[in-house]
Amino acid sequence: MTVYMRRTKATLVAVAAGALMLTACSSGGGGTSKNDTKDKQDQNAKQQQSQITFGDAAASTGPAEEVPGAKPGGTLHALERDSYTHLDPGQIYVSNEGQLATLLHRGLTTYKLDSKGKYTVVGDLATDSGKETDAGKTWTYTLKDGVKFEDGTPITSKDIRWSVERLFAPFITNGPAYLQQWLANTAGSDYRKLLPDGPYKGAHLPDSLLQTPDAKTIVFHFPTAQPDTPYLMAMAGYAVVDSAKDTKEKYDKAPVASGPYKIKSFESGKSMTLVKNTNWDPKTDPARHQYVDTFDITFNHQAPDSTKRLMSDAGENQTSLSFANAVDTKSTPTVVGTASIFKRTVSGYQPFVGQINFNMKKITDLQIRKALALAIPTKPVWQALGASYGAEYAGGYISPTLAGYQKSDPLGKVAKPDGDQVAAKKILTDAGKLNTKITYAYINTAAGQEYSVAIADALKKAGFDVQRKDLPSDTYYDLIGKVDNPYDIYASAWGADWPSTLTVIPPVFDGRTIADQAPNYSHVNDPKINSEIDRIKAITDPVKAADEWFKLNAYITTDVIPGVPTVFYKQLQLFGSKVGGVVYNNVTSGIDLTKLFVNQ
Amino acid sequence: MTSQTQAVVTDADDGSIDPAAQTQGLGKQAGDIVGFSPGQLMWRRFKRDRTGVLSAFVVIFFFAIAILAPVISKLYGKDPYTLYGQNNSDLLNEFGYPVAPNGGVSSSFWFGIEPGLGRDVFTQLLYGIRTSLFISVAVTLATVTTAILLGITSGYLGGRADYFIGRVSDLLLAFPSQLFFVAFMPIVVAIFVDPQDETPTYLRVTALIAVQWFLGWMGLSRILRGQVLSLREREFIEAAKVTGASSWRIVRRELLPNLVTPILVQATFMLPGFVTAEAGLSFLGVGIIEPTPDWGRMFAKGGDIAQNDITYMFFPGIAMVIFIVAFNLLGDSVRDAFDPKSGR
Repeated sequence: MTVYMRRTKATLVAVAAGALMLTACSSGGGGTSKNDTKDKQDQNAKQQQSQITFGDAAASTGPAEEVPGAKPGGTLHALERDSYTHLDPGQIYVSNEGQLATLLHRGLTTYKLDSKGKYTVVGDLATDSGKETDAGKTWTYTLKDGVKFEDGTPITSKDIRWSVERLFAPFITNGPAYLQQWLANTAGSDYRKLLPDGPYKGAHLPDSLLQTPDAKTIVFHFPTAQPDTPYLMAMAGYAVVDSAKDTKEKYDKAPVASGPYKIKSFESGKSMTLVKNTNWDPKTDPARHQYVDTFDITFNHQAPDSTKRLMSDAGENQTSLSFANAVDTKSTPTVVGTASIFKRTVSGYQPFVGQINFNMKKITDLQIRKALALAIPTKPVWQALGASYGAEYAGGYISPTLAGYQKSDPLGKVAKPDGDQVAAKKILTDAGKLNTKITYAYINTAAGQEYSVAIADALKKAGFDVQRKDLPSDTYYDLIGKVDNPYDIYASAWGADWPSTLTVIPPVFDGRTIADQAPNYSHVNDPKINSEIDRIKAITDPVKAADEWFKLNAYITTDVIPGVPTVFYKQLQLFGSKVGGVVYNNVTSGIDLTKLFVNQ
Repeated sequence: MTSQTQAVVTDADDGSIDPAAQTQGLGKQAGDIVGFSPGQLMWRRFKRDRTGVLSAFVVIFFFAIAILAPVISKLYGKDPYTLYGQNNSDLLNEFGYPVAPNGGVSSSFWFGIEPGLGRDVFTQLLYGIRTSLFISVAVTLATVTTAILLGITSGYLGGRADYFIGRVSDLLLAFPSQLFFVAFMPIVVAIFVDPQDETPTYLRVTALIAVQWFLGWMGLSRILRGQVLSLREREFIEAAKVTGASSWRIVRRELLPNLVTPILVQATFMLPGFVTAEAGLSFLGVGIIEPTPDWGRMFAKGGDIAQNDITYMFFPGIAMVIFIVAFNLLGDSVRDAFDPKSGR
């Protein structure tokens, strides 16, 4: 996933003038806040670093662990910024839709977040997270008894086969393409040739790829080893679709639910109402609950709007929350500084890791890249995102949300977020490269202008001739995504699709994937990285693989230096005082919807 | 105050059309009868208008600090570009807001510290005013000159020239100037700037002036055209024509002196308009960009962070309000002074 920076709409000058009359003076910002924030943060980080495991049949058995103090009943109001564009599982890729999908759709596997904060990949429709044979090439899933769609028809292997095969149909364009590519053993969109019309004209995938020997068994035969299959099957994009009621394009607005809730009404861009799905059996589900009677979702609530409503905690706002909106950065100091509001927050990571890319096609000298990496301050970026509530200094490219995360700081950026311009200048002087011209392309938003000034200022101090180049925010990623772009350094962010480094290092650093608009924005093409990627991809032991990815990450960060990692994105979310069971889920990067209840 | 004799000389130089003044000039031995040119009369009336004088001083003060910004900044010991807050971590808290109360106002930072980058607000404001006023004065001069040229031409010549200029100004009036600028800027950058180089500030300033000038002259031009249309049928113009005066002389000596009032009054109303327009563009993020200090952008930032640091908005905000009000009052006073019958 790529982060597209949102542009805040400028409001009228008149508003600013009017506000002048309101208050006479303001209190100080104060020093660093020292309440229980720190503990909350540390606890969250610890929870992150635990290894994500693949659960067995026992872990995959329902019902889910009770949420302490949970009461059934009541209505929750959700204030969302964006309406849901896609509800068809095959079309779901965006994180807010993926989050909603945890209530509506079930897949072969899912993530279970227990009361201790440990994440496990467990069987959802399937009895376990997947049985692996043939060195990771063959994966077998068996469906549980009693799993049904909202109309009461049982979910069978036929539906799973259908759900996979329809992903090859031409109208499925927005979902992830991993499974299709793995089955077809190709890159890009070539996989569509395998089954050009999907299952709609009677063609099916051969048994050599996908086998459904009986109504309960599904066997995937991948041409190459795919040890991340349990993660993959948990993606909302691979959830089950009712083969008997597949309305193709129309399914996107009115899907058949398999999860604890079903759609009662949906007016795109306005509102959505979810009610209990009576054919969902809690005994089959190890991760979800069905405490709330109704979810009443309304759209078009920008972050300042939802934040102000939830901060006020008046009337209906007490039973409100926002699934995906973070606290507005401008309100963060108030939210954090007011104990009564701060206790109604949860915080956690988003999957994105920010970096400032160095264009390897233009800056070929390692010494210059080293000097850049040392000189660039990451603090301005961190501050722009809302300080420690919106970001955490990054030491490497692998986010704390990924399995087996290890803390590291090989470039010393975490220890010194202001950058080390003196050391950088020394490197430049020794290499005789003082006053090297660096074209720094930045996104022309208010925040972008500001942090680019701070970064350019630091680079000037280090002895670079910095040329700041403003790029329009709506075409920013298109411009830096060109292989022959004329810029030297530019910021980008990348988020993992599932908690494994496989969805980070190969797309971002594999030199063989360089293409216009490919996420390898630095144009890294290092033979050692390429060969290591191939080697680690074949390791079937997830723990060992994670370890190897981290070694490769260290090599990239310190020896190749295709950029400098800046921050891990985080977010702070607020909820009303009568909302219970609020836990931040780092995998769906937002509040975990399956545990919510209403405190009446 | 000029002497009587000088007044008469100036009078003649002004090419005044007031027959009374002419007669008085001829009878300069008349002793007690003191003659004043319209300019002198206006000045006398203006001096009696206390609001007008006060606003004039305020306006002059703003121009003075804009011109003297580098001197003041030197005496004060800080500049608008150094990131004090980034260099000294004690000044801003972790969110980037000033640690000290009231936006960090202190003896060393008179107007406080800018949240985020930590620059000095006082010098930022001085230089911001300088940028905005420079651009606005340049735009005003350019538009007024253009409007005079085109307005008088179309009014005096009439016919085809009038038709042509009239349609062009209709067309240009239909352009939304802010949107035009938003669309225009990337093209200018693409044409004039190497993609690897920073867009120079002078280019942005030139483009800002050019666009505002290009789309700003029509109003005054139409007013002048109307004035000229009515004046050119008057007897004194007829008389000048009969005596064989050239068109150029008629425009310069007969028409222009009669147009001074609308030109001056309009210009004093246009300048604050351009200041706010420039501020508006920067507020929208398309005008002057970081790190060049800019009044409008300070405003935008002030609104953005008002929740956490309301103090920051006070200085650019109050300064802007005072300046615009003073300039508009000045415009009113100038109009009243020129034409005491209007608006009283």
